[in-house]
Amino acid sequence: MSTHNTYKIGIDVGGTFTDLVAVDQRGRTAKAKVSSTPEDQSIGLVDGLGALAAELGLAPDQLLAHTRLIIHGTTAATNALLEGKGAKVGLLTTEGFRDVIEQREGYKPDRYNLRLRPPPALVPRHLRLPVRERMRFDGSIEQPLNEDSVLQAIEQLKRAGCSAVAVCLLHSYRNPAHERRVSELLAEQMPEAYVSLSSRVLPMIKEYERFSTTVVNAYVGPVLANYLGRLRSRVQAAGYEGEILIMHSHGGLGTIEASIGLAAGCVLSGPAGGVSGCIMASHLAGIPDLIAFDMGGTSSDIALIVDGKARISNDRDISGLKIALPTIDIHTIGSGGGSIARVNDGGILSVGPESAGAQPGPACYGRGGNRATTTDANVVLGYFDAASFMGGRVAFDRAAAEKAIAEIAGRMKCTREAAAEGVVRVINTQMAEGIRIVAVRAGRDPRNHALLSFGGAAGLHVADIARSLRIRTVLVPRSAAVFSAWGMLSTDLKYERIRTVAEDLSPGTVESLPPLISAMRQECIVEALASGLAPEQLAASITLDMRYGEQIFEIDVGIENDELTAPEATRILAERFHVRHAELYGYASRAQRIVVANVRLSVTTPSGIRPGIDIATAHEMRDADTRRIYLDGWTDVPVVDFESLSPGARVTGPCLLRSRTTSIILKQGDVGEIDALGWLRIEVGMPGAHRYAGGEADSRSIELVEANG
Amino acid sequence: MPIDPITISIIQHRLYYVNAEMSEAMLRTAYSQILNSSRDFSIGIFDGEGRLISQADNLPVHVGGLPFAMAEVRRRFAARIERGDVFLVNDPYYGGSHLPDITCFVPIFAGLETEPIFWAVNRSHSSDIGGSAAGSYNPDATEIWQEGIRITPLKLYRAGCRDDDLLHMLATNVRHFDDFIGDLNAMIGSIHVGAKRLAELIDEYGADELRGAIEHILDASEHQTRADISTWKDGVYSGQCLLDDDGHGAVNIAIRAQVTVSGSDIHVDLSGTDPQVSGIVNSSYANTMSAVHMAIAYLTPSGIAKNSGSFRPVKVTTKQGTLVHPFAPAPVTLSTNHPAQEIAEAIFRALEGSCPDRVVGGWGRRFRIALQGKDPRTSRNFIWHLFHGRPGGGGSATADGWHGAGELSSGGGLKFSSIEVAEARFPLFFAEHEFAPGTAGAGKHRGGFGSSVRIRLETDAPVSGVTAGDGAVHAPHGIAGGRSGTPHRYHHVKAADGMSTVLPTKATRLKFAPGDWLHIVSSGGGGYGPPTARGKADRLKDVEEGFAVG
Repeated sequence: MSTHNTYKIGIDVGGTFTDLVAVDQRGRTAKAKVSSTPEDQSIGLVDGLGALAAELGLAPDQLLAHTRLIIHGTTAATNALLEGKGAKVGLLTTEGFRDVIEQREGYKPDRYNLRLRPPPALVPRHLRLPVRERMRFDGSIEQPLNEDSVLQAIEQLKRAGCSAVAVCLLHSYRNPAHERRVSELLAEQMPEAYVSLSSRVLPMIKEYERFSTTVVNAYVGPVLANYLGRLRSRVQAAGYEGEILIMHSHGGLGTIEASIGLAAGCVLSGPAGGVSGCIMASHLAGIPDLIAFDMGGTSSDIALIVDGKARISNDRDISGLKIALPTIDIHTIGSGGGSIARVNDGGILSVGPESAGAQPGPACYGRGGNRATTTDANVVLGYFDAASFMGGRVAFDRAAAEKAIAEIAGRMKCTREAAAEGVVRVINTQMAEGIRIVAVRAGRDPRNHALLSFGGAAGLHVADIARSLRIRTVLVPRSAAVFSAWGMLSTDLKYERIRTVAEDLSPGTVESLPPLISAMRQECIVEALASGLAPEQLAASITLDMRYGEQIFEIDVGIENDELTAPEATRILAERFHVRHAELYGYASRAQRIVVANVRLSVTTPSGIRPGIDIATAHEMRDADTRRIYLDGWTDVPVVDFESLSPGARVTGPCLLRSRTTSIILKQGDVGEIDALGWLRIEVGMPGAHRYAGGEADSRSIELVEANG
Repeated sequence: MPIDPITISIIQHRLYYVNAEMSEAMLRTAYSQILNSSRDFSIGIFDGEGRLISQADNLPVHVGGLPFAMAEVRRRFAARIERGDVFLVNDPYYGGSHLPDITCFVPIFAGLETEPIFWAVNRSHSSDIGGSAAGSYNPDATEIWQEGIRITPLKLYRAGCRDDDLLHMLATNVRHFDDFIGDLNAMIGSIHVGAKRLAELIDEYGADELRGAIEHILDASEHQTRADISTWKDGVYSGQCLLDDDGHGAVNIAIRAQVTVSGSDIHVDLSGTDPQVSGIVNSSYANTMSAVHMAIAYLTPSGIAKNSGSFRPVKVTTKQGTLVHPFAPAPVTLSTNHPAQEIAEAIFRALEGSCPDRVVGGWGRRFRIALQGKDPRTSRNFIWHLFHGRPGGGGSATADGWHGAGELSSGGGLKFSSIEVAEARFPLFFAEHEFAPGTAGAGKHRGGFGSSVRIRLETDAPVSGVTAGDGAVHAPHGIAGGRSGTPHRYHHVKAADGMSTVLPTKATRLKFAPGDWLHIVSSGGGGYGPPTARGKADRLKDVEEGFAVG
C-alpha cells in the first residue's frame, strides 16, 4: 500500500486481547491482535498500533501520520466499577436526603434470603454531606442555598481526601442554579477534584436514578480521565495528531473531553463496540432483525437488533448500581463455557451462575479445576480435540473433563455421556430462555429474528438454542475475532440530551416542546463543533418518553420536528403512543390520560468512511476428516474446515465445522451454507415436522396459526 | 415410564422461566402504582391436582396461601372446568388472604383431556376493593362486609367468553373503575402468557412425561427441605409475639407458636394464640398457613425451589375461634402484614434454640397512612398512600439488618417511589427522608435502621386521613441475645400552634389542616447476638456513619 492512503483505526481493548482494524479511504481493511496490558491498557494499545503498521508494511509513525481518526472502545470505566477501584467520592446533597443512594427505593434482592449482607453504598454515609437549600418541584426556591453549609461540607470532603465530588440536589433537573453555584464553590475550594453535577449528568426527574448515575459518574470519571490522558499522550508521542473518539454505552461516539465528563456513559463502551459489529453484520448480511448472542466464559451477552438498529434502554443496573443513561440494551446472563454444573440434594441438575473462570478454569484446562463445566461436557461429547481446543492456546486434559462429568453422572445415576448431554441441554435451556425474556421485555417475538452467533464458545450451542426458540436462521460471521473493532469503524458520533417535561399530553405541552428541543440541539451543535466535525452532516432524532397516567414505565415514541408544529401534533403523538403501547404490551387504552415524561434528543454525525468486507478467498477444499462424537449415541461425523469453504458451499448436519477461533456443530436436519460474505448461515432443522401428525399440510397450517398469533 | 433426570431438570428450569415471563408481562402492563412500581403481586404455576409446582421471585406472604385459593376453585367447580375459563377469587373465607388481593386462574389442558394438567395463577393487590375506607384498609371494620366487595370463586370467562356484566358490576363496586379493569386485564394477560408457554411445553414433552417430572420436582424440594431441617436440633420449643391492639379495645394480642422439631419434620401448633378480635388483625386460615410457610422458607436455604413439595415437612395446627383461624365474618384486612409477620416471628423466636444460625431479629412493622383531599394545583381530589419511611430489617447470624427494607411479609420486595415525583403529583412537601439513627437494636449484628420522614401538607383545605398498622407499642424484638429496636413514632404536628400528637396505628377520620406536618420515625430492626460480641471495626463504622446504636 502506498503512504498516500489515509486511515481510520478501530481499537477494542478486551481483558485478554487488544484488537485493531484499520480501514483506508477505499474501504480496504487490515487487522492486528496483540495481548492486552491490564495494568495500563494504553501500553498494549500502542503495541497494537505497531503491529497494525507492520501488517500494512509501514513504520508506526508513518501509519499514525496518515491516520485521520482513532475510534476506541475501552473497559477502563467498566473495570473501575466492577473491581471497586474508582475514586474516593464525596456527595453533596440536599439536607434531609443524604441516604437516597443507599435506600435503593427500599428494595432488597434475593427475596427469601434474610441473612443477605447489605451491599455497601458507592459513597459511605460519612462522605454523604447535607447542604442547606431546597428547590421545589416547579423550580421555584423553597430555601436559598446556604453557602456556609456548602463550604463546611467541602472542607470535610477535602480533609477526607476525596478526589471526586458528586452534587445531587432535589429538583435540580428543573432548576440547576444551586448545583451550579455549588460547582463554582468546588472549583474554588477543590480545584483538582472531578466534579459531577446531577443536572448535567442526567437532568431527569426521579432522584434515585439521577443521584445514583451521578455518583457512578464521579466514581469512574477520574479513572477514565487518567487513562484517556495517558492514552492521548502515548499516541501523540508516537506521532498521531488526529482525533480520538471513544465508544459510549449508547452505541455512539464521543470526544475524549465529552467522555471524561460523562464517564458513567462509557461503562459499557466495550460491549457497545461488539453491538456496533452486530449492526454492521446486520447491514452486510441484509438481515434487519437479529438477536446477537455472544457466549463467553462466565457469562453471555444478548442484544436485540431491530430494523438494523440496536435497542436503547434508559434504565440499567450494572453490578447492582443504577445507571439511568441511554445504553445499548445488552443483557448479561450468568451462563457460559465455564459455568459449573451441580446436582442438588433433590437430584435436580443446574449449571451456573457459579463459574470456574479463567483460573482454575474448566477441568479440561488441566489447571486443577475438578468441577464439571459446560466446556467439560462438550469435551466428553467429543466436540473438541486437542488440536482444535481454544486454537491450541490452552492445554487440553480430556481425562480431567471425563472425571468431572463422571461425578455428575454418579449423582444423576446415568451414563457419563447422558450427564454431559444433560449439562449441555440445561445450559442451552437457560440461554434460550434468557434470550426469550430479553425479547419479551422489548415486545419482540424471537421467531421473527435471526440469531447472530459470536464468541468462541457459541458455535456448539447456537443451533440448539435457535431450535428451542424456533428461530430459523443462524448467522456465524467468519471475522468474529476482531468483530468489535471492526464494528466501531462504522459508528457515528452521537450526542444525547434529555429534559424532563412531566406534563399531560395536551396542545399546550406540545407547543412547549420545539423551543426546548431547539435549545438541546444548540448544545449538541456546540459540542459537535468542538470535536472538529462538520455540523452540516448532523442528523437529529427526537423521542418522547410517554406513559399512561398511572403507569410508571415509560415507552419511547419517535417524532419529527415538523410534526410537532403541525396542527394535528397532539393527536398524532397520542395515536403513535397508543399504537406503540399495543405493539409492546398487546393493548392500548384510548380513554386514558397520557403523560409526556421526558424529551430526548439524539444527534449523530458520521465518522467518515466505513470499512468494506474481505470476501473470503477460497482455500483449497480439503477432504473432510471424521470425528466420533456423541449425538444420542456415538457416531462418526465429518469435520469440515470452516475457513476453507467458498461462498455457495453447503454442509449438512450432522457435522462439525472448525476454525481457528470456533467450533460449530450442525445436527441432523440443520443445513449450513456459506454466503457471499464467506459467513455461515444455518437453516435450523425444526422438530415440528414430525411432531404434528398428519403430514405437511398440517405442519404448514400450524405455522400459519403461529405467524398470526 | 421412568423419566430421565435430565429431562426433569430441564422441565423445572422451563417452568421457572414461564413464571418469570408472566411476572414480566404483569409488571409492564399493570396500571396501579402498587403493582407496577411496588410489585405487590405473585405468580404461580399449579398442577392438575392443585399443587404449587413453580413460582417466581414473589412476595413471600402470598406464596404459601395460593394453594388454598386454588383448592377452593377446584372444589367448587370440580367437573365444570373448561378450556378458556378464567376464575377469580378474593374472599378470605374461600381461600383468599384479604379482600384487596385478587387471585385469577386459568386452566391449561393437554390434548383432549378433560381435566386440566396445569393452572397459571396471578395474585395481585388492588389499590381499592370498595368497602367503607378508600384504599381498603378500614380499621373501623368489625365485619368483613365493611372491608370491600367479597368475590367468592367465580368464572369471569366461560370457555373464552368474558362475562362483561359481571366485570362491570365488580368494577362499579370499587373506587377506581379504570384502574381496576386495567389491572385485571394485566393479570389475565399474564396468565394467558403462561398458558401459551405451558401449552408449548405440553407439545414438546407430552402430558405423561410432564406429570412424572412434576412428582420428581416436588419430591426434590421436599427432600432438600427435609435434609436441611434434619440438621436443626430436635425439641419442643415455644415462642410468642405481641400485636399492639386491634383498634377496638383488645391490646397486647398474643400469637403463640409451639414448634416441634423431630428429625426432618416440623409441627407448628398455633392453638395457644389469643381469641379472635373485633378489629382488622384477624388472619384467615389460608393467610395463617401462608405465614407459617413464609417462616419456614425464610429459615431454609433460599436456593430451594418453593413449591408444595417444600411445604410437605410442615404440619400446622390451629384452633378455630383464635386470631389465626377466625370464624366469619371477622374482618382481616391487615392480616397479610399483621399478624402474618407476628406468626412468622413467633416461630423464629421459638426456634432460636433449634437453628440459631437461621433465625433473624424482628423486622419493623407496617404502619400506613392514606391521605385524601383536594389538590389546589389541579382542583382534583387526590388519595395518597405512604410507602416511604420504611422500618429496618432484623440482624442475622451473618449480617447486620437492612436499613429501611420494610416489613417481613414482603422481605424488601416492595419499592417506594420517587420523592420528586410525589411532590410533582401531590400537594406534599418532604423536608426529610433519611435513615433514622438510634432506632436499631444493638447486637453482634445490629438491626437495620428505620427511617425519618417529615412531610408538610400543601393544601388549602383540610385533609382527611386513615391509618392502618401496628408496632407503635411493640418494637422489633432482638434475638439470640440481641436487643430490640425502637417502636414506631408517628406524630401529627399542627401548623397553628406547633402542638404534636401521636398518631394511632388504627384510626379513621383523622383531620389535618393545611400546612400541618407528619413527623415519622419508623422502627429499627432487632439485633442478633449479644452487643458485647460486636466487632470493633463494625462499632467504629457505626460511629463514623453517624449511627448511634440503642
